Amino acid sequence: MPDWLNITLRAIGAVAYLFLLTKIIGKRQIKQLTYIEYIVGISIGSIAAFMATEMDGPIYHSLIGMGVFALFPVLMEWLSLKSKFLRDLFEGKSTVLIKEGKILEDNLKKERLTAEDLMEQLRIKNVFRVADVEFALMETSGEVSVLLKSESQPVTPKHLELTVAPTEENQVVIMDGVIMDEPLATAGLNRRWVRTELQKAGVALENVFLGQVDKGGELYLDLYDDKLMVPGAQAMKLAFATLKKCQADLELYALNTKNEQMKRTYQTDSEQLQQIIDQVKPFMIR
Amino acid sequence: MTVGAQVKQTLASLKGAQADFETFALSTQNKKAKQLYSQAAEQTQSIVDNLQQRVTELEKEEPQFKGF
Repeated sequence: MPDWLNITLRAIGAVAYLFLLTKIIGKRQIKQLTYIEYIVGISIGSIAAFMATEMDGPIYHSLIGMGVFALFPVLMEWLSLKSKFLRDLFEGKSTVLIKEGKILEDNLKKERLTAEDLMEQLRIKNVFRVADVEFALMETSGEVSVLLKSESQPVTPKHLELTVAPTEENQVVIMDGVIMDEPLATAGLNRRWVRTELQKAGVALENVFLGQVDKGGELYLDLYDDKLMVPGAQAMKLAFATLKKCQADLELYALNTKNEQMKRTYQTDSEQLQQIIDQVKPFMIR
Repeated sequence: MTVGAQVKQTLASLKGAQADFETFALSTQNKKAKQLYSQAAEQTQSIVDNLQQRVTELEKEEPQFKGF
């Protein structure tokens, strides 16, 4: 076998074996790697490179070496699942940096963080005033988590005591002019529904770059042709406007009629309709 | 437009809105929204009934405008 062919085959074998090993180690992002996993990753890589280019020793030596290296993170993860002590030992503990609004300088020193580092980390979290921070913690991954004081936290519907409609998962049903069957089925719709909606909007399927099903089964469309205007989803707004019109009509009739009993019926009806409108408003107008 | 015709129009709109509620209830996958819409459709039904009754009365008063 010529050398070049040998090296090519070894390289392909090394990559395939690497792929297999990384599958076993599992999916973790580079950012979340622990120190030991980082070292293991580098070592496995260099052994693989060695295996591809050095033709002196037998291949299985490298294979065994890589296998042992790959086994370590798996073993350590399994052990840390079993014991809290080992977990703390392998993965480290998080450090409190700010507590009750006060910076803990000793802990900063322990993590070898300067004031600038801390400020930088806070700024990354969009916090520019230390006075706004109630609690900050350095996670084992080195990232800083920040809890703002309650008066500095962004306002949520809960604070405003607003009723909001539950969020629904939006499904992308058209991609690059092709109907996606699986998300469509998840949304409880079918191809015929998509065709009807496209016809309603007056758009050809080939012209759609992206189509997404929103709340209440409304289809949002983005076209390749950006000059073309797509009518926005109107069904909900229209129904809501109709309701409001009916309510106003009922009030009008209540004022106009001379029949006392009928006046009362109209009034209670219009009040009831107003209640319904208030209930459905967060769901229909978002 | 007579009063009768106006009430009839409102009745038709309200029936349309009720049907919309039912459509929304069927088309949403969210249980809470589904429940809310079907509840709204039910509540609208009683108003529709009252209006229907009123239309019948008005038709008795103005028989020349009977029918939609």
